[in-house]
Amino acid sequence: MIEEMEPAPKGTEYDFYFGPAHPGSGNFGVKLKIDGEIVVSARADPGYLHRGFEKLMEYRTPIQNAVLSDRLCILEPLNWNLVHAEAVDELMGIEVPERAKYIRVIMAELSRIQSHIIWYGVFSKGTGFDTGFKMAFGYRDYILDLFELITGGRVYPAGYICPGGVRRDFPDNAKMKILKVLDKMNKMIKLGELENPAMDARSKDVGVLKLKDAIRLGVTGPVLRGSGMNVDVRKEEPYEVYDRLDFEVPVRKKGDAYARYCIGIEEMKQSVKIVKQALEDLPDGDVIETSLKKPKLSYKIPEGEVYVRNEIARGEAAIYMVSNGNSTPYRVKVRGPDFLHMIPVLEHLLKGVQIADVPAVYWSLNICPADMDR
Amino acid sequence: MSYRILPKLLKNMLSKPMTVKFPHESIPIPDRYRGEHKYDIDNCISCGLCAKICPNRAIEMIELPKEYKEKYPKTYPKIDLGKCCFCGLCEDICPKDSISLTKNVFLSTFDPSTVIKEPLPTIKGGKEKK
Repeated sequence: MIEEMEPAPKGTEYDFYFGPAHPGSGNFGVKLKIDGEIVVSARADPGYLHRGFEKLMEYRTPIQNAVLSDRLCILEPLNWNLVHAEAVDELMGIEVPERAKYIRVIMAELSRIQSHIIWYGVFSKGTGFDTGFKMAFGYRDYILDLFELITGGRVYPAGYICPGGVRRDFPDNAKMKILKVLDKMNKMIKLGELENPAMDARSKDVGVLKLKDAIRLGVTGPVLRGSGMNVDVRKEEPYEVYDRLDFEVPVRKKGDAYARYCIGIEEMKQSVKIVKQALEDLPDGDVIETSLKKPKLSYKIPEGEVYVRNEIARGEAAIYMVSNGNSTPYRVKVRGPDFLHMIPVLEHLLKGVQIADVPAVYWSLNICPADMDR
Repeated sequence: MSYRILPKLLKNMLSKPMTVKFPHESIPIPDRYRGEHKYDIDNCISCGLCAKICPNRAIEMIELPKEYKEKYPKTYPKIDLGKCCFCGLCEDICPKDSISLTKNVFLSTFDPSTVIKEPLPTIKGGKEKK
């Protein structure tokens, strides 16, 4: 990176590094060329969090991969668990019990809520609204307490959603506790919805992503819905029990940072609605397929290939898995939503914005460096 | 100054903080928490399943030093807590329930040798603890 720096031809032009050690950027950097206060061009600088998941997964059995899939994205491990588990289920032809399907949906939606709360928090921090950051991380802890109760880990569930179902049933008091936490989440959503003139000024008409550009650059999820396209894998290609649940897909036309922020808040509301419905309909029965109750050492994955896509908090996540009949997959390709959000889209959006708006644009995209680098 | 803030201010002044004062009180840890391992050597049948399923290869089956060989002739799991990711697969797969994860979360240490859990607590680096 250092060799690429050129001496500034004019007195007003200079290079500026946003990250990777910046407190507001995560393990990811952006190299900005700046003229005065305007960003002339931006260059993403990824690779600080590369761990090589696709290769690691080729050496592990599905249950070990379920544990590994937590680490794909730190901010929403349960959603990635679900994508991986679905891919293996489809490849092996496993019938997942009804109760497990509902539990999977409840956990995935709770994970989506906490991920969106982080989004709200870091976006507030990026726009200089520190109270929002502290409030968000305080409320997120209630959901982490729930995860601790149900899965045994606050952040990493260790493959709670595993091939064949889920690893453990809900404890007896889980239903009541989830409902209590949902009330708290409603409070958080109300606080997030409050009109905040400072945040409005920092986010309205900032980082406008037009629908045409969004489609060209491969945007998915809340960012694309913020630009005015009604897409959601949960509606288009319902997985688990999403086809039986009633929820809406929020869409905004404007495509600026404020529209994306509104989408985040609306989606939290919808997720609360989904969890409540799923809790009501939760049937009794097994939570995992009988043959997989104890973790197995040798799997017989039938030959074949499968492509499974899910709607996670950040966008569309997918896993392409090929098996040649061994107990480990032959090839796993992980498609995360953030690779496209963080490199082409960010570089496109940062061109021409003021230097003070860089964090607002950066955080409004709901990004996760861990998922991008993989 | 806006007076609308006053009720909120009073409420915040009288409400308890979200956090607890840690060493004196702590948040209760649920039973399912995956903390430090508890290993019962007398129950163990040396099947080695825990070592095989461990995704991080943190468990190694080892032979005990000479003085214990008579009582425990087989191989037993040595757990490296530094490599462990606390997924609990060893607990799930153990046919005799001789490995289980406890609620102990206080695992940080200044002594690197305590990171490795030998099968018997009296062994330390192959020698007996004094």
